[in-house]
Amino acid sequence: METALQWARGPIFWTAFAFMILGLLRLVVITVLDIRHIMRDAGDKSLPVGQLIRTTLSWLFPVRRFTHRITYSLTTIIFHVSIIIVPIFLGSHVMLWERSIGLSWPTLSTTVADVLTILAVVTALAIVVQRTIFADARRLSRFQDYAIPLLIAVPFASGFVAMHPTMNPFPYEATMLVHVMSANILFILIPFSKISHCLLLPFTQFVSEAAWRFPSDCGTQVAVALGKEKQPV
Amino acid sequence: MNSRLNILKSILWAIVGVWAVVSVARFVRGLGATTNLSDGAPWGLWIGFDVMAGVALAAGGFVLAAIVYIFGLERYRPFVRPAILTAFLGYAAVAVGLLYDLGLPWHIWHPLINWQHHSVLFEVAACVMIYLTVLTLEFAPVILEHPIFKHRIFKTVYNFLKKATIPLVIAGIVLSTLHQSSLGSLFLITPGRLHPLWYSPIIYVLFFVSAVGLGLMMVTLESLLSGYFFRHKVDTSRLAGLGGAAAAVLSLYALIRLGDLAWRGVLPQAFSGNWQGNLFLFELGVSAIIPAFLLMAPRIRRSIGGLAAASVLTVLGMIGYRLDTSIVAFLRPEEAAYFPHWMEFAITLGIVAAFGLIFIFFVEHLRVFEHHDDDTATAKRYFPIPVEASSVRDFGQRSWRGPAWYSLVAIGTAAITLVFLPEHIRSGDLHRAESVSGVRTIEGLRLTRASQEGTRFAVPAEDAMAQFAVPGADPVLLMVIDGNRDGNLVLFDHESHRVREGGAGSSEKECGVCHHMNKPFDRNTSCYECHRDMYNPTMIFDHTSHTAAMGGNEGCVRCHRDPDAVKTADNIRPCYDCHADMVADGSTMIQAPPKDGLRWQAPGYRDAMHGSCMACHEKRMAADPEYYSAQFVRCDNCHNADYDTELRHLSPYATLSQAAGGE
Repeated sequence: METALQWARGPIFWTAFAFMILGLLRLVVITVLDIRHIMRDAGDKSLPVGQLIRTTLSWLFPVRRFTHRITYSLTTIIFHVSIIIVPIFLGSHVMLWERSIGLSWPTLSTTVADVLTILAVVTALAIVVQRTIFADARRLSRFQDYAIPLLIAVPFASGFVAMHPTMNPFPYEATMLVHVMSANILFILIPFSKISHCLLLPFTQFVSEAAWRFPSDCGTQVAVALGKEKQPV
Repeated sequence: MNSRLNILKSILWAIVGVWAVVSVARFVRGLGATTNLSDGAPWGLWIGFDVMAGVALAAGGFVLAAIVYIFGLERYRPFVRPAILTAFLGYAAVAVGLLYDLGLPWHIWHPLINWQHHSVLFEVAACVMIYLTVLTLEFAPVILEHPIFKHRIFKTVYNFLKKATIPLVIAGIVLSTLHQSSLGSLFLITPGRLHPLWYSPIIYVLFFVSAVGLGLMMVTLESLLSGYFFRHKVDTSRLAGLGGAAAAVLSLYALIRLGDLAWRGVLPQAFSGNWQGNLFLFELGVSAIIPAFLLMAPRIRRSIGGLAAASVLTVLGMIGYRLDTSIVAFLRPEEAAYFPHWMEFAITLGIVAAFGLIFIFFVEHLRVFEHHDDDTATAKRYFPIPVEASSVRDFGQRSWRGPAWYSLVAIGTAAITLVFLPEHIRSGDLHRAESVSGVRTIEGLRLTRASQEGTRFAVPAEDAMAQFAVPGADPVLLMVIDGNRDGNLVLFDHESHRVREGGAGSSEKECGVCHHMNKPFDRNTSCYECHRDMYNPTMIFDHTSHTAAMGGNEGCVRCHRDPDAVKTADNIRPCYDCHADMVADGSTMIQAPPKDGLRWQAPGYRDAMHGSCMACHEKRMAADPEYYSAQFVRCDNCHNADYDTELRHLSPYATLSQAAGGE
């Protein structure tokens, strides 16, 4: 068990983390190439920079969506905030970074970390539940939309019980192995699943913005191409 | 789409992924961490393959240029461009390979400024640099034909280079002749170290002639490979012409080599049946004799199979010739046996793969092979770069080719390589683990000198002990301190140190001057039981057994008492609270808390020994400089090369009693 744990937090972690970094970089490069492609084909070559920034920010801080679907909006915001903040600013994690690469940064107090961790697990489950019970959401959902929030909950739950040994029914090493390995799997999945939106969000906004801008008279041109001039649409 | 080419490119990209990671390891951690090179074996795979064989494989460039431009055999013009491209990329690869092999790669420009006229290596460096420049100029017109260089300046340069072709070709032939041979001349200074079957006073001739033959066969192999991968027809009638020439050159090479050996009377060694003899016969057969015989038959050299067999044999055989000369048949000290580390292979393969990809890129985008002359087809291939996968699509729907696929292959192998990197590459510990054994004891003599030069020991053979026992030479039991058993030892007179520290009686107070910590339920734990590695610190705290002893998860808080603190070794209840008995009696190094706790990490054996002995010696010296000689605080007070040799020669292995840990 201890050897497996060493292996999981050593070489496997390195590999998974490298997979995430390189995979995300690769996605960015491919997306930029794609965007170049789209821009070349686009009829309207003006860049909607202002609108782009507005939409990106509005999705980063979806305050406007509070008018309807308030529960879901709140759930996802809390979910996102906790799963971003806790892994980066947890004291134990910062200590690991400091030991391996010598960099450290401010940490969360354990109480805040505990609260956010519980919130992350609860909201992850809530997201899945809401996706299941609302018919509209269910229709839009793919397998990974259910699987990924549940998978994200695993390292948070296992990390929480590892930090509170007295309420942990499992051996410490086994708990840590689950914690580290589930996180490793997530790292590898990040570039290959919807989680890649963590880096690609502005690019996807750009793509949908740029790709759907048609030249002013394109409707007529389509009609000409289809041979349906002067016919009602 | 061409699936053969796709598979080839995927494999090359996979190798490039591994190469990228190992390259980072090489340049961040250095040669010692990534190779099996040593002072005894300073030239390894990177020199043998990347430089020696790489230069030879690129010989096709000057051979074909000479055939077409100097001898005017226009029939072979279609082979000139691929041959020049191979030479250009080959030499660039040699330069890259050399960067890996140089201990200080950022000094690679030094031969430009610091001219060392007496060195063959300087000649090699100068030739490679100038020839690489010449090759760049020779190949530049092919690049400038591309539509993106349509500006007038490019046209001017293009026309100028076209006019300068003949001078460039002549320069290329001269430079190639010079340093293809001087790579052989390098070995003229090693007649004692290179096996007689490979060493020759005319080795430069052999290197040059073999390079010409190899160059012809390399051009043949390339044409066959490009025919296979790009699915075009191979011009066997022209290749047969090259093959005929190669048959002549390879026969000439074999004759010169055998004749030279026979002339100097070394040839019988080839049939002595030892591995060098067999290797020589095998290498010469594969590289020259068999291909030459194959190519002499017109029917064989007109068939694709025959050409393929002959060219593959020659290429592999000649790579073998260069590797044998620089590595295999090169005698090394017994301890410096050399087999390349897998990371050396990864770098070598990676350079080949990367330059292979560049070659493919050039062939796809430039007019390298004649049958790509169809202008419309070439122009179509320039733009656009096909990006077939959209990033917003799901992974499973991606196409299995194009940049999206190749980049996935490369980052995949790169990430997986990280698993297999040795631990010292990841952790940055420069010392590899070297376990430590306990001290042994030996009988010797303590020689007290009047001149205050300090104490010296002598270790006579056991049966000679009595005759050396004269006044001023007292028999003593000496501890042989040689933790990693590398033969560099320190003799330590334990008893005298004990008495001097005030232990004439049996108070045992003096023990605490050096001994500081015992294992639980132990009284005189030896140094090596905790300081278990020569250089790296040893973890002496066993977390697992403590967890078990404390009752699993419930026990965590018995040591990690502060629930808000990160549970590390820094935030624990002091070990001393439970393990007061582990501090040795009277220890001056570790004292009762709060001054010092017990440590969870023992420094490396070397650091522990130096820390314990030197600290005390320096303190004594400072306290009483009159009494001690300057010798007392110097390295050779303890590290005396005489001891090592004395022990080995006077009393080899005989009197070292294996009392591991005995005091």
